[in-house]
Amino acid sequence: MQPLRDVAVVAFAHTGHLRTADELSEVEMLMPVLHEVLDRTGLKTADIDFTCSGSCDYLAGRAFSFTLALDGVGAWPPISESHVEMDGAWALYEAWTKILTGDADTALVYSYGKSSPGSVRDVLTRQLDPYYVAPLWPDSVALAALQAQALIDTGATDEPALAAVAARSRNSETNTAAQQDYVVRPLRTGDCPPVGDGAAAVVLAAGDRARDLCARPAWIRGIDHRIEAHGLGVRDLTDSPSARLAAEKAGAFERPVDTAELHAPFSSQEVVLRKALRLDDDVRINPSGGALAANPVMAAGLIRIGEAAARIHRGESDRALAHATSGPCLQQNLVAVLEGDPR
Amino acid sequence: MPEVLKAPLVVEFPFTRSLGPVQSAFLTGLRERVVLGVKTGDGRVLVPPVEYDPVTAEEIRDLGSFVEVAPTGTVTTWAWNHAPRRGQPLSTPFAWVLVRLDGADTALLHALDAPGPDAVHTGMRVRIRWADERTGAITDIACFEPYDGDRAEPAGHTGEFENPVTGIVAPARLDYTYTPGRAQSAYIHALGDRRIVGERCPSCRKVYVPPRGACPTCGLATSEQVEVGPRGTVTTFCIVNIKAKNLDIEVPYVYAHIALDGADLALHGRIGGIPYDRVRMGLRVEPVWTEGSRHPDHYRPTGEPDADYETYKELL
Ligand SMILES: [Zn+2]
Repeated sequence: MQPLRDVAVVAFAHTGHLRTADELSEVEMLMPVLHEVLDRTGLKTADIDFTCSGSCDYLAGRAFSFTLALDGVGAWPPISESHVEMDGAWALYEAWTKILTGDADTALVYSYGKSSPGSVRDVLTRQLDPYYVAPLWPDSVALAALQAQALIDTGATDEPALAAVAARSRNSETNTAAQQDYVVRPLRTGDCPPVGDGAAAVVLAAGDRARDLCARPAWIRGIDHRIEAHGLGVRDLTDSPSARLAAEKAGAFERPVDTAELHAPFSSQEVVLRKALRLDDDVRINPSGGALAANPVMAAGLIRIGEAAARIHRGESDRALAHATSGPCLQQNLVAVLEGDPR
Repeated sequence: MPEVLKAPLVVEFPFTRSLGPVQSAFLTGLRERVVLGVKTGDGRVLVPPVEYDPVTAEEIRDLGSFVEVAPTGTVTTWAWNHAPRRGQPLSTPFAWVLVRLDGADTALLHALDAPGPDAVHTGMRVRIRWADERTGAITDIACFEPYDGDRAEPAGHTGEFENPVTGIVAPARLDYTYTPGRAQSAYIHALGDRRIVGERCPSCRKVYVPPRGACPTCGLATSEQVEVGPRGTVTTFCIVNIKAKNLDIEVPYVYAHIALDGADLALHGRIGGIPYDRVRMGLRVEPVWTEGSRHPDHYRPTGEPDADYETYKELL
């Protein structure tokens, strides 16, 4: 289905990967990214019709941190603003919806995550079913490892193939990855995302406004997100029907894409997603390095959309798929299809 | 730049949840060493049981839909955890497993006690090892253990129990290393010298105390440091009548917003040295530092005439 309005990503900025930003508060880490993304368009806060952010207080253990982050936007006098306790990709979805309604022509979307103050493997256990799962404290790597083993059991991959995914993502030698220690077997250090801090922001704009703000806007041709059952034992962990359905609804299968930015924090999840999203070897996968190279939790999904859009801005892609995930073992998936105008 | 300040921060809470009829029956069953699933409209048996069919979203709460399954089953996938973390079911290396219990169509997540990864494989047979003390929680299953005997036959329990559990309390604890960031670190360092230092916005020139690093009006970083106070004006206040836990202050007492001289944002503090019912808007106060304290213990009247309302009305 054609969206009601043409909406594009017109600017993207991010912090790059920070192992730790402990000399900065969240707003201090975020603010330069907000300024950079606004500078790229020449817009000021007052020119933005809607602002939406994604973050999670549990990461750094700071209650209502998203309200402090708003200081960096300049939210007084009051602005039209919203927040999702999710990756910023879902904040972008909300902003896209807002623009479709006609209530806004421009939107600022940002997200940030400081994982370094806490133990993100343990923090993420608190998002699990509180009755049957969370009391066992199964950490994020353990759950991904269960998925990886299930995938290996089907013959879809093996440990050397996973090491190759990890090596490609980090531009390093395959054989060193294979020699790394297990974190939770079968996943080794290289199969798991680095823990770090970071922030990202994009500006969305509709129609002619987008053309004014960006030489080659990355038009959102479709975007959709779908979720699977929360019970891990109910799901087929070797497949991602929710990612496939989101891609179908976003129109991803109507024509081939040349680039895909996949939010696969674990190497094994890239294998699942490639199959579900029908990405063959002609598609450039994660030219940015993906979440295995840098995984600021809550920003890593928005960064996938931003990176895909930036390639279209630079003329390096004409049609790109961007994917974001949330929850354990690819539980929830968002797919956006971005296109540049013909050159 | 001063050194980065760090302090341990523990977020700890007893996560208290009430149970619906399905979860209540399942967890009460574990207490009685009975494992219950629910049967969906199309005849699948879900273990652990849920209130809504995960495929059709159909509600499943008819007690007749409970099905007892066996405490034995088959591993559908596994992962070897050589370094158990706090709160996990076993403190020695173990395998995480998804187990499809005999009679169930879905799998349950838990731990498997096994000597090493070579002793674990998908398809292996396991059985429940029950915890000695059971309260009606998922941890009533201590773990699974390898099992090469026959499939156990369930007794056909209906899901009705004496004294069913109606809630769970799941303790949660997360440990952090708190760092206040650049602006607040500078503020805290200055407090160590008994100085109160805010930061000025480069655009609107407002001085924020305590500084948070950004001007919320302009969205710009603040950086110019400005010493304010020590005297200030009570802009508004409340009277606290309920004694807080771990707080050694007699009630009633007054908690106030105080606009320190030179600041464009009021901070808050306790007012002392004056009966609680004499505190008023416009009262002029100054900080009282106690031995070894890193921040003012409270603020007391200076004895100056009250500030004119016009001088602080913008700071309310
Ligand atoms: Zn300002």
